Amino acid sequence: MTRTPPAVPTRSAHKTDQLFVNMGPQHPSTHGVLRVGLTIEGEVIVKAEPDIGYLHRGTEKLLETRTYPQGVVFSDRWDYCSAMTNNLAFSLAVERLMGVQAPPRADALRVIHCELQRIASHLLFVGTYGIDIGAATPFLHTFREREMILDLFEMSSGARLTYNHIRIGGVAADITPEWAAKAREFLAYFKPRLCEYDTLLTYNPIFLDRTQGIGVISAETALAWGLSGPNLRASGVPYDVRKWAPHCGYEGYPFEMALGKAGDCFDRYHCRVREMRESAKIVEAALEGLPEGEVMAKIPKLLKPAPGEAYAHVEGSRGDLGIYVVSDGTAMPYRLHVRAPSFANLAIVQELFVGQKLADVIAMLGSLDIVLGEVDR
Amino acid sequence: MTAEEVLAKALAKFPRADKADPVKDYPTLRVSAGDLLGLVRYLKELGFSYLDMVSAVDWKGPVSREGFVRAPGFNALRREASAQAAAAPAAGFRCRDEMTVVYCLTHPSEKLKVFLKTDLPREGGRLPSLAGLFKAADWQEREVFDLFGIVFEGHPDLRKILTPAFLQGHPLRKDYAHVKDRFD
Repeated sequence: MTRTPPAVPTRSAHKTDQLFVNMGPQHPSTHGVLRVGLTIEGEVIVKAEPDIGYLHRGTEKLLETRTYPQGVVFSDRWDYCSAMTNNLAFSLAVERLMGVQAPPRADALRVIHCELQRIASHLLFVGTYGIDIGAATPFLHTFREREMILDLFEMSSGARLTYNHIRIGGVAADITPEWAAKAREFLAYFKPRLCEYDTLLTYNPIFLDRTQGIGVISAETALAWGLSGPNLRASGVPYDVRKWAPHCGYEGYPFEMALGKAGDCFDRYHCRVREMRESAKIVEAALEGLPEGEVMAKIPKLLKPAPGEAYAHVEGSRGDLGIYVVSDGTAMPYRLHVRAPSFANLAIVQELFVGQKLADVIAMLGSLDIVLGEVDR
Repeated sequence: MTAEEVLAKALAKFPRADKADPVKDYPTLRVSAGDLLGLVRYLKELGFSYLDMVSAVDWKGPVSREGFVRAPGFNALRREASAQAAAAPAAGFRCRDEMTVVYCLTHPSEKLKVFLKTDLPREGGRLPSLAGLFKAADWQEREVFDLFGIVFEGHPDLRKILTPAFLQGHPLRKDYAHVKDRFD
């Protein structure tokens, strides 16, 4: 009797073997701690599994045992590249809960600070996105300008990244005439720099090759996944909270929504570049028509909002940032939920990456401009 | 289309739904777990094509002492007063064995937002998943599952998302007690 040979394994339907590629959590292009498990066939991605939570600090739980003014400090740490808008969203939610209205000068100062913050945040994006794609020079240029904004913030709030400046009822401190002069000086310096970025990066043929037609998100897909901010507008959906449900008197400032057509990586990048120009316009108009008066509403020392629920949302640098807060009548929120734009923006990666080349992952992930502090909270 | 019209249309179609304690300045509906999927599908037909938020609230009262990872220090309160002492006057307030799941749907062109609330028991609460209607529900429902332990039936991939695999329990529940792990 001869021994029967072992059965030859039948070939699967796949042409090539699948390979699992682990990206992150310490990958420089993930801008934080994000792990993506990629299954590839040859060079094409067949499955992408983002793994988040490395930066989960449980701020929603922590806030349940902190008073409302202490909560503003926590809001700084969600999207640490755009702390002003987080302060604003938190403050607006509590103000709505208490039925408080910030004075007009405080509203204008909030607009000025938030728009400067948007410019700073988008500058960070332009610089790091260039690095992701392989252009190291724009980073040095954008950080030079971002530094000036951080200097301005240091002058008005005392901090460079986590400000705790926009508070419940208004802003922490008024600006000085020197501050306004320095801000105008910055804007005069900054606007020509935008053309410089265009020559450095935007119309660079290598950059165009790597971003145009890559990672296309249609308007329907973007809405279905709950994208917001520049990522949604790049797909051509005119949704901007500043226009949609104006807060802090945004309806009074002249600016246009930067909309894209194709919804590819280049559109997402270019929307942000154009948004910086609009933000500069808003800051100019706000500095011009800055009303006189108080910068803080009359609010009690110990805030105890009446039992109830409120929701407030603002256009953060990365999209629609919403705060849902429930009060039980005590000095601390009973429950507070952060509708973080980056969390929603990142989820689409599961669908966006499939069918794309492995080499384009960095370009696509970078173009979504996520901040992991906000994804994980 | 105004917020009142949307409410009237939805209430006419789903008579068992009711107006809930409002989220300030927004139309808010209370809907049973059985009607939820139908109502959301109807609202989507009306143009509410954007799922903004899925979240939940646990009504089990103030946080328990064991729930604290570290001792709370409050600027505004007396030093010896613990968080429980501060929350004590409101201890009975709304305290019940229920959780509420809150949905926020947006109508992008009509500039409308509507909030939906569904009550369910704290233990063994189950809801139909909206992941088939909105892809945005995918991660947000996973987050609610992770932090509250609410099961969404029909979700394609209901796994923990934010907390590590070894973490016991659901942190945003009011009776959550932290079990010491190797990081403490």
